[in-house]
Amino acid sequence: MNKKIFIALAVILVFCGQALSQTGTKKKRPLPYEYGRVIIDNYSDKADLAPVVFEHWIHRSKFTCRVCHVDVGFAMKAGATGIRAADNARGYYCGACHNGKMVAEGKTVFQSCSKKVTAEDAKRCERCHSFGKKVASDYDFFQFSQPLPKERFGNGLDWEKSEELGLIKPASFLDGVSIQRKSLTVQKDFALNPKVEGMPDIIFSHKKHTVWNGCELCHPEIFMGVKRGTVRYSMVDISEGKSCGVCHTTVAFPLADCQRCHSKPV
Amino acid sequence: MFKAKIMAVLLFMGLVGLCGVRAIGGPHWSASQADPAQEAWRKEFDDVCSKTQDAMTFSQEELTVLIRRCDDLLPQIEKLDETRKKVYMGRLRMCRGLYAYVLDAKRNEKK
Repeated sequence: MNKKIFIALAVILVFCGQALSQTGTKKKRPLPYEYGRVIIDNYSDKADLAPVVFEHWIHRSKFTCRVCHVDVGFAMKAGATGIRAADNARGYYCGACHNGKMVAEGKTVFQSCSKKVTAEDAKRCERCHSFGKKVASDYDFFQFSQPLPKERFGNGLDWEKSEELGLIKPASFLDGVSIQRKSLTVQKDFALNPKVEGMPDIIFSHKKHTVWNGCELCHPEIFMGVKRGTVRYSMVDISEGKSCGVCHTTVAFPLADCQRCHSKPV
Repeated sequence: MFKAKIMAVLLFMGLVGLCGVRAIGGPHWSASQADPAQEAWRKEFDDVCSKTQDAMTFSQEELTVLIRRCDDLLPQIEKLDETRKKVYMGRLRMCRGLYAYVLDAKRNEKK
């Protein structure tokens, strides 16, 4: 009897193993405060430092996407910028703000990397080089998010509404880095028809996207098609991080929030 | 026992210092971020790339001129130090890319 049970269990295990190897394991959904987190480890490990933990939620509450990804020059793909301590210390990338001089909300923004590092600086280094460490942050996500309008996925926050209500005021200009630009002539919203029957049309709002991104962040590097309808976008590609997926799988509300894009009333 | 503790603390401090030095070691250091106002290329860069917001309103001729101005900036940016070259090459690529994209769109419209 025992032998039969053993054989049955072994067979089940073999099948389960096969099934898992076919489909892989389910990706863990990040917690609200983890969503948008980027681990940067271009050179940290080689320098015997912990990788940098970058929290998007802190930074996006203070600056528009454009300031960092166009003006400061951070690439849209994690690790693609190749930031070095020397770059930061020269006042570029993280060092554009984290220079020990800039004052924000009455506080001096701590310096990121410096030419000379002493033993006392270790604590400062750890503020960013904190992967795998328990480092107390000046910012608490739950305290920060409490007054903000909620959403279901991602950070669990409606960032757009938060700005509309004046609860966050992301700056669109960084002194000495950004270029003075005229306010944008907003392009019209347009509808995109999905391939799946019964699925509501996507209403793409240029206004919503250009307010934070400008034009050159998306065109032509993310969206290269010049004539509407010539490039086919698929949910598979998007979920793999292409086109809309560049932001909407990483920082902006995730793909699970279908009706925020497929929003045309049926 | 007391000596061992002191040795351990000194060793720890030494290691921390060493980690810090290694983190910033390697490439040469420039004095500080250059004053953008003093540099002609930066003025030209700011002027050319400050118009991206209006890209859609430009004629094909105006866009062609802007693209040429971006191309003229390229060799000057290539001469900069490693960090500035990396930053401004990326910014110029985006700015030029947008003008070229809009120019393409406008040419397509006419077809």
